Amino acid sequence: MGLALRELRRRPSRFTVATVVLTFLTLLLLLLGGLLDGLYLGSTGAIRAQQADVIVYSSNARDSFLRSRIDGDLRSVVEGVDGVSEVGGLGVLLLGGEVPGSDEIADVAVIGFETPPRGVPDVPAAGRAWADERLRDAGVDLGDTILVGPARSPIVVDGFVDDTNYLLQGGLWVDLDTWRATQNANRPDAFVADDVVQVLVVSGTGDLAGAIDGATAGATSTLTRDEAVTALPGVREQNATFSAIIYSTIAVVLAVVGLFFSLLTLERTALYGVLKAVGARTRTLFGGVVAQAVTVALIAFALGSLLALLAGAALPAGIPLQLTAGRFAFTLVALVVAAVLGSAISLRRVIRIDPASAIGSAS
Amino acid sequence: MNLALTEMRRAKTRFGLLTGAVGLLVYLILFQQALSGGLIEQFIGALKHQSADVLVYNAQARKNLEGSIILPEQQAAVGSVPGVAVVEPLGEDTFTVLAGGEEQDAVVFGYVLDGPGAPTTLVEGRLPAGGFEAVASSRNAADGFDIGDEVTVLVGPGAEVEPVVFTVVGLARDINYSVAPVLFTDYTSYEAAKRTVNPDAAAVLPTVMAVAVADGASSAEVAAAITAAVPGTEALTRQQAVDESPGVASVRQSFNVILLLFYLVIPLVTGLFFLIVTFQKANSLTLLRAIGSPAGPLVRALLTQVVLVVLGGGVIATILFALSSGATNSLGVRPEPGPVITTVVVVLVLALLTSLAAVRRVLRIDPIAAVSGTGVQV
Repeated sequence: MGLALRELRRRPSRFTVATVVLTFLTLLLLLLGGLLDGLYLGSTGAIRAQQADVIVYSSNARDSFLRSRIDGDLRSVVEGVDGVSEVGGLGVLLLGGEVPGSDEIADVAVIGFETPPRGVPDVPAAGRAWADERLRDAGVDLGDTILVGPARSPIVVDGFVDDTNYLLQGGLWVDLDTWRATQNANRPDAFVADDVVQVLVVSGTGDLAGAIDGATAGATSTLTRDEAVTALPGVREQNATFSAIIYSTIAVVLAVVGLFFSLLTLERTALYGVLKAVGARTRTLFGGVVAQAVTVALIAFALGSLLALLAGAALPAGIPLQLTAGRFAFTLVALVVAAVLGSAISLRRVIRIDPASAIGSAS
Repeated sequence: MNLALTEMRRAKTRFGLLTGAVGLLVYLILFQQALSGGLIEQFIGALKHQSADVLVYNAQARKNLEGSIILPEQQAAVGSVPGVAVVEPLGEDTFTVLAGGEEQDAVVFGYVLDGPGAPTTLVEGRLPAGGFEAVASSRNAADGFDIGDEVTVLVGPGAEVEPVVFTVVGLARDINYSVAPVLFTDYTSYEAAKRTVNPDAAAVLPTVMAVAVADGASSAEVAAAITAAVPGTEALTRQQAVDESPGVASVRQSFNVILLLFYLVIPLVTGLFFLIVTFQKANSLTLLRAIGSPAGPLVRALLTQVVLVVLGGGVIATILFALSSGATNSLGVRPEPGPVITTVVVVLVLALLTSLAAVRRVLRIDPIAAVSGTGVQV
């Protein structure tokens, strides 16, 4: 092990090739993962932040917030279901918003609520809102009045909350009456009456989904919070597609590590023969190869991470790249595992080296 | 050639790993290129393949159909802008429908018959001639959207309204929107569908205004004139509406960054592999030169190996691509020979370029080193 690490220190140029290639692959993995996380987190924050156990849609909405409508009568039925302890209404409206001092229209999601999600304070006064931090990038400041939609409905920002966006639009959390007024002023074709909400967020015990849908005789479709997240348009497809690309790239990392360390092992066959002849064990030699592969992977990870952070700062704001600590951790683990597995391809060659054949052949 | 092939046969693991890695990387490039193109086509096909020269959005909508409505005063003002020959409302919304016996999402576009906004890629049947007739996206024909099929707009439980039923009379290619099935119908039928799902609607306003420009007028100039003349609107040419649709530009940029990195990695892996192998073969290559072998055959053997590795990788990539495209057909990923060949050729050229470092090493071999006892230097 010591010999292997000393070789790394004294002849780093020998490992430059593998390090450069793995650095690029690390950068690729982080950018791919960052895009996936950016799309996922930016689209689903408003639902992930909910503290309720289930979300109740009208059955004809196909689990779409925007098409779902629950009126007062249906809500009463849900409130009366055994096991239900708390029911809150929720409504979402996607619009543009004029921000003071900015020429650009901001993408906003006006979200009316009754029961505060995680990290969101109590329901604000009429016409006022908690804005998501994402809207700061669009120039929104505390106390600003955002003019929302074609009707330019005014909403005043009273404070900021984090990770509560919906379909990549900045969350503006308002009371239900403000949401209804904004909806009706800006989308007269999607008018909502005074007792109507889009969905209900419900807390309680037992099989809530089954009990609620049974009690409403199929007029509702009830999903858990996780199911509601994946029911959002495109979320499932994005996850599947990006994950397939990421795992294929990890397979490439494995092949590249295997390739370069099998080349290095081949180059050192005679040297290994000599080392075996003087008593070095196969386990020790192979351990050295693995240690070198892991060290190269760690250096590549550090360089690739640095490049990814620089790329994140340089890429246009329109690209939804979000580099999270979890993504870095995942990439690190994937690289190390691929390095260990890839270097294992050299194991057979190390085992097959015959110490006797080394005598007189080492150069 | 024999030298190249013999070496590859005897070092199957090394060349197999390299070919596998190149194959996977080329596959990822092919898949992402197709995915990017397919996704964009599936997201905005309906915009791209409709007949209006210019689409007028509400400026607040940020070029997003879902967020746009055109107010009555804006509708009236668009028609008086110079260069506008015809202007009609165009509506768009997503509905839950019953098609093929199953509940599905469908995006309905309503246009004034014989006016701008009609689908332009009809492949079977005819355009709607009256109320509640529709042209459907051909990709979804088998899902209950074929000619003669009836598609019912579903309403909320207990709603006491007449159901709206569309009859499919034609199929058009590449007119999906947001990856969902699409129906193009007349504007009045679209309004009826909107009112059916929301009987409380105070008004059904057009999503955008569809404009046909006058003969000889430039779409871009007319669009700019409308934006300047009608407060609160943003007019876009058809191509602008496609290119600047929310998501399209960012999807393109994101995929371009990723593809660029993949295109960098492949020649890097290939070039550096052959450079290392050349270093490792230095003794043998020097000996070959010393016994009279010219540099040409050695260089040709090296380049032959590069070509074989990349072509082998290309074959692996094509097979993987064909297999995976079946599973991702809903995203519009279609294997087409043109992009596959172009990608493999580009990768081959890049790999040959980066292999020039190894070629240079071969050319620098001095045969005298084999007998001078000073050690081989390449």
